[in-house]
Amino acid sequence: MQTQRSAIVISSPMQHSQRSTGRLMLLVIAACIPGVATATWYFGFGVLINIMLAASMAIVLEACALKLRGRDIRLHLSDNSALVTAVLFGIAMPPGASWWLVAMGIFFAIVIAKHIYGGLGQNLFNPAMCGYVLLLLSFPVEMTSWHIPNDALVDGSSFSAFSLAGLRQSLMVSMPVFGGAQMSSPDSIDGLAMATPLIEFKMAGTSALLAAWDAGVSGFSRDSGAAWELVNMGYLCGGLFLIYKRIISWHIPCAIIATVTVMSTLYYAPGSSAIYGTPYLHLFGSATMIGAFFIATDPVSAATTVRGKIYYGIIIGLAIYGIRVWGSYPDSIAIAVLLGNFCAPALDYLCRPRIYGHGKKSRTVPTAELKS
Amino acid sequence: MRLVSRLLGRRSDRAPYAIFGGIAAEAYKTRSLRSRLMPVPIPEKLVLPLSQNLDVDAVAIVEAGDLVQKFQPLAEAGEPGSVALHAPTSGLVSSISNATVADEFGSQRLCIHLQTDGEDRAIETVPEADYSALDHLQLLERIERAGICGLGGAGFPSAQKLSLGVKSGIDLLIINAVECEPFISADEALIRERGASVVVGAEILQSACLASNCIIVLQEDKADAIEALRKALEDSSIELMTLAARYPVGGEKQIIQAVTGMEVPSQAYPASIGVLVFNAGTAYAVYKAIVDGEPCVSRITTLTGAPLQTPKNFETLIGTSVSFLFDLCGIDTTRHTGTIVGGSLMGIQLPTLDVPVMKTSNCLIAMSAAEFPPDEPELACIRCGFCAEACPARLLPQQLYAFSRAHDHEQNLAHGLFDCIECGACAYVCPSHIPLVQYYRASKAEIRGQQARQLQSQHWQQRFQQHQYRIKQRRDEAPHQVSGDAVGPKNDDEPGNKNRSHGDGGKTEAAVFSRERAKREIAEAVARVRARRAGHIASSRTDAESDS
Repeated sequence: MQTQRSAIVISSPMQHSQRSTGRLMLLVIAACIPGVATATWYFGFGVLINIMLAASMAIVLEACALKLRGRDIRLHLSDNSALVTAVLFGIAMPPGASWWLVAMGIFFAIVIAKHIYGGLGQNLFNPAMCGYVLLLLSFPVEMTSWHIPNDALVDGSSFSAFSLAGLRQSLMVSMPVFGGAQMSSPDSIDGLAMATPLIEFKMAGTSALLAAWDAGVSGFSRDSGAAWELVNMGYLCGGLFLIYKRIISWHIPCAIIATVTVMSTLYYAPGSSAIYGTPYLHLFGSATMIGAFFIATDPVSAATTVRGKIYYGIIIGLAIYGIRVWGSYPDSIAIAVLLGNFCAPALDYLCRPRIYGHGKKSRTVPTAELKS
Repeated sequence: MRLVSRLLGRRSDRAPYAIFGGIAAEAYKTRSLRSRLMPVPIPEKLVLPLSQNLDVDAVAIVEAGDLVQKFQPLAEAGEPGSVALHAPTSGLVSSISNATVADEFGSQRLCIHLQTDGEDRAIETVPEADYSALDHLQLLERIERAGICGLGGAGFPSAQKLSLGVKSGIDLLIINAVECEPFISADEALIRERGASVVVGAEILQSACLASNCIIVLQEDKADAIEALRKALEDSSIELMTLAARYPVGGEKQIIQAVTGMEVPSQAYPASIGVLVFNAGTAYAVYKAIVDGEPCVSRITTLTGAPLQTPKNFETLIGTSVSFLFDLCGIDTTRHTGTIVGGSLMGIQLPTLDVPVMKTSNCLIAMSAAEFPPDEPELACIRCGFCAEACPARLLPQQLYAFSRAHDHEQNLAHGLFDCIECGACAYVCPSHIPLVQYYRASKAEIRGQQARQLQSQHWQQRFQQHQYRIKQRRDEAPHQVSGDAVGPKNDDEPGNKNRSHGDGGKTEAAVFSRERAKREIAEAVARVRARRAGHIASSRTDAESDS
């Protein structure tokens, strides 16, 4: 009853800042651009196709879900949250994933993980990562096969990923309709499992890749080590931009990066054939940066108190490293973030800041003495 | 900086402490500061609400038809929370009746309607050039008689606050001229032009509450006012402190934190930590009351907003109507979309312009669509935490919002809902345009309602148990009586039942009897109230004197 009454009476404050949720979300997408562009450069149009597919499906699904829930479609679409989910989901998907894989994941992300829980702001778990983990559990082979156009693998044809042929091939991989039956199998185009260097570390042990790493980063050479390094640099730049714009706070990314750095330094075993790579490899050889700056910082599912954010970041950092090194999943951002989401409500409750006027020894000047 | 000055042991240049949270709201002060402080011509009619803070009514001591002179008392302070009221000019009391007052609901309160005669004849005042001749009790008494309440907006009777302070002992008196609300410039204008009087007022307040230190605090963007104060403070023991512009650093709790680094304990008065805060306007009113002997009949009010052609600060008679003031400033009615009394962040929007200025009305804003665009639709909370960064009480507004929506008041209380000062910083920064403060107000009202209901039900439960007990007792005492009697009201042993009749007839007889008794009791109660009202003036006067 009270709420209704105060809804009629216009209440203070009457002045507002200019920031809006829709704009914040657009800025998050903008901050993804350097990373996405770099990834597209190295891994071909498959990256962009994933994002586009996911985005268009997400908008349609979001509109349907809003319609079914009887909400104002235009108003709530304008918060752009579905777009951000789609972009992050699309980035996480391996290039060349089939369209139905993307559709299934984004459906789970938007409809099940978000709207069934009550829509934006009510979901306990990061929708994009929910969709991704569902696919990872259900389709482990498809989700770890990375397909890039043939030409990209040929030495000397450095721009082929952007050629029309590359685009066509990428489209054919994700949507076999375009290319006919012979293209439907991923194996028929020199598909290369070219996942992250960490995966290669884990799967192949000391291979040529380790040698490549020891030799140092070789600019624009097309090995996945350099590619991932630059992609992560891109996301790092985007993330710093978000912090600079005060859209995300520094606490979560810093806690994650610090934890991963500390863990990988502690367990670093040079020359070992195991996964215990250098801290640098752990930070820049995988999805750590996008995870730390873009995925773990999803405000809805993250911790929201300052100390809570730091503990949340540490938990995710520990999980990232632990799952990578001792777990059976090669990359672990999604699972680690979901684990953090599980902890977030408790962290927020336990890490409430001291409220003004509570529990601090307030009187510092003994008045009695002054008066006498 | 602070550390250095502490190490050197210099007490004189105190560096401010940081407050929690806060926002940098865009300020709109310059336009109302372009012109000088202006007196307002006497309007034909003044409406003086008996309660100047819309809380407790003062007791009127004039009647309709009385001719009154300027400064003549119209109403006396009654219950705690009310302040005396004086005639702002000479004229005829046309009636004492309900009129719309300046709140967001447009509610009706008892007001004294004064038909002015334009002659402005004043009763004789008792100026006291040397206030140091008066001891603090005399000062308190004069401040109370002058009808001064907090002119910063809350309107708490100043004399009550001072005597509270004297009781608990005051180390530091803070004169608050921070004025962090983006539109208000009344204190700035006052200090710029009458800084010396404000300083004298501050000194009087200091001796009235026996404070060992006094400090005047301004926001550092008020260059003219700071300069004026520096001059006025040259040979005074009062210190000056400037704070970085940040809303709501001028809030009572925040200014205490900024100046002393101490926090007012939750649900306690600042006096409990030895600090009192008075608004600069209040200090000026105190100066007028003691040095000139004039009671509080006017105040400085900022008139601003884009629809006004000449925004300015007026020295306004209490009771002047808002529409009269807007007309003086040349209001462009085509652009005028609404009116705020108080600031844009903590003020209230008036449903009508035909309301009087009160002692607490520090600012009137004529809203325009450009400066105050219509509220954007509320989107979902994404828990971005901007609100928590902005909260000066260090609450978690995003959590309180979720609990308020769920009506989870247990969690609301655990998360400090009642420590919210309703400054609106959270709602200001919210990117989803959620009117957070409204949710908190609604929750607070719900909790208060629940608590009241709980108390009441406890009360009734107790009554019922007593009733049951009485019945049982009577049955035990008189087992031979017929059962019908048992329900009749006839227990004499219970306290509070002394006046009850000794009905020993049947059920119907008892009912008739009790109706008659009820009538009689009502008549008695009315008589008692009348008697009390009649004697109220005299008694309140003696009360006040004995208090001080």
